[in-house]
Amino acid sequence: MQRSGNNKMVAMNDDAPILSLAGIGKHYGGITALSGVDFDVREGEVVALAGDNGAGKSTLVKIISGIVSSDEGRILFNGQEVSLRKPQDAAELGIQTVYQDLALCDNLDTVQNLFLGREMHSGLLRGAKLSRPLMESRAHAALSSLNVKIRDYSVSVGRLSGGQRQSVAIARAVLSKPRVILLDEPTAALGVAQRAEVMALIARLREQGLGVILVSHDLGDVLDIADRIVVLRLGRKAAERPVAEWTRSSLVAAITGTDH
Amino acid sequence: MNTTRQQVSVTTAPAKISFRQNLLEALSTKWRVVPVLLSLALIWAIFASQSPVFLSARNLTNLADQIATTSIVALGLVLVLVVAEIDLSVAGLAAVCAGIVGVLVVNMDVSLSIALIIAITVGGLYGLLQGSMIVYSGAPAFIVTLGFSLMLQGVLLILLPAESGLVPLAGTDLQFLAAYRLPTTLSYALPAAVGLIGLAMRLNDHRQRVAYGLPSNLMRSMAIGVAIIFASLAVVAIFNAYRGVPLTVAVLAGLIAILSYATTQTPFGIWLYAIGGNREAARRAGIPVNWMKMAAFSILGMLTALGGVVAAARVLGVSPASADQSLLLEAIAAAVIGGTSLFGGRGSVWAAILGALVIGSIANGMFLINASTQLRLLVQGGVLVAAVIADALIARSGSSSSR
Repeated sequence: MQRSGNNKMVAMNDDAPILSLAGIGKHYGGITALSGVDFDVREGEVVALAGDNGAGKSTLVKIISGIVSSDEGRILFNGQEVSLRKPQDAAELGIQTVYQDLALCDNLDTVQNLFLGREMHSGLLRGAKLSRPLMESRAHAALSSLNVKIRDYSVSVGRLSGGQRQSVAIARAVLSKPRVILLDEPTAALGVAQRAEVMALIARLREQGLGVILVSHDLGDVLDIADRIVVLRLGRKAAERPVAEWTRSSLVAAITGTDH
Repeated sequence: MNTTRQQVSVTTAPAKISFRQNLLEALSTKWRVVPVLLSLALIWAIFASQSPVFLSARNLTNLADQIATTSIVALGLVLVLVVAEIDLSVAGLAAVCAGIVGVLVVNMDVSLSIALIIAITVGGLYGLLQGSMIVYSGAPAFIVTLGFSLMLQGVLLILLPAESGLVPLAGTDLQFLAAYRLPTTLSYALPAAVGLIGLAMRLNDHRQRVAYGLPSNLMRSMAIGVAIIFASLAVVAIFNAYRGVPLTVAVLAGLIAILSYATTQTPFGIWLYAIGGNREAARRAGIPVNWMKMAAFSILGMLTALGGVVAAARVLGVSPASADQSLLLEAIAAAVIGGTSLFGGRGSVWAAILGALVIGSIANGMFLINASTQLRLLVQGGVLVAAVIADALIARSGSSSSR
């Protein structure tokens, strides 16, 4: 539908950000985890968040997903100032986070996981009878729109491959129609083929106009898929450039702090 | 066997997986009842060859009476085990609730129905209290419920009359209740009606699946439904060939139907399994984890109260011996033999009943062939160990295949 190369430029230059963080700071006692961080994400854009351990990535992830609140700075969603005090605040705005642990129930099947906590009903016995057919058809629609192939929706997700499990977790987030989706280390511990599967899935999310925040240790992932890369170092923003202006070595230099 | 093979061809994980692994996977999930049914058939075949009366209508009625209490308690225990908790106080609670009914009916002249309602309420509140202490403190259920079990034995001694130490129930309404059999017409009409409702739901599901363009096998789903209806009518016919369907069996059947529906067709049921599968994921999905666990304990409490009254009605009395821990051991064994995992997330209502049948059939059959108590205990224990080891092996080889 969209020519993604072109779209990237448009998104980066013209569109107002969906989510915009300005001057974000977070202190734990005397330790400064984050300070003065600006961070934007626009529609149909993949922004990668890179940085070494302790750079402040996970603190920023927790602030965006509402698990912890920031001490300094402002958060704008659609140009309006918002406060993210708990995960529900973020979810209500349309910010969904897929954590590294995926939060799937291995003993439940794909459909049950996708609709966990928001099961659908139909017919006479509203509320007292699940509608498996309704949920399965919605699940099928959601998964095929993301090009995710799962042969049997009634197999427990514990028996799916790592890539399929990641896809189910992402599809679960997408089902609540978010505008921003935050993926925390989505390719950690995946094989080559499964990593490619998840990369293709992230590209689909971008095509569908979502703002994607990708947190990853894997520089290959970041350079492959991101439109823009933000590097954090020691709790501050060290660099932010479109992906075309990064090379593997300049990225390593920015992350480790040997670039100046 | 044929259905198992069909299932395997549909169940596909991504990587190349051997037929054997697929079979193991199917056996450890959807077809978990198949090995239990096969073991039960084997046990029955052995006893039938050793004793001509084992498969008689009279003995099967006896068997049903013998396993009624264990089954009722095991039903509730499955719910608690599924949310990865455990309750070791069921034997004590069953005796105390029976004691309450006995004292109310015999010593205080309260009508049986009111006494039953009071006992079941006490069981439910007890479960709620015990469950809330466990979920809010985070203390291990194993120890908390063990402590409560001791306390309940104390309560039972306080409850029973000091001089005699027992409440005789002969001649009360409870004796009448225990001996009550369903009228023949009703005994066939009830399962037929429930079965037709089940068929209607399957048909409705099929219509919806077709409307949504999903694959659906009407013939297969109807065939399974019709087979279950005929099987239950056949069971009723066996009871009617002796003295009819005992009230306790009818109540147990009703409980199975309700709990089977609740655990598979409602959000409540899915949430129970979700909590057992991944507590943190369930919490993040907005499921009230603590309330669900307390509800499981509470339902178990109510069922245990009912089971205790059924046991007391069968032996026509409540005494300190009513708190016999073999009820606890047999109920846990029934749940585990049926395939319920002590780690949570796995196990079904049907499994509990089949497990209770396995345990009960062994006890019943060994008695019929005049085997010694020591041999009976050895066999029952051996079957439990074999069942839980087989389950662990099946689950392990099944899940290592795809990851």
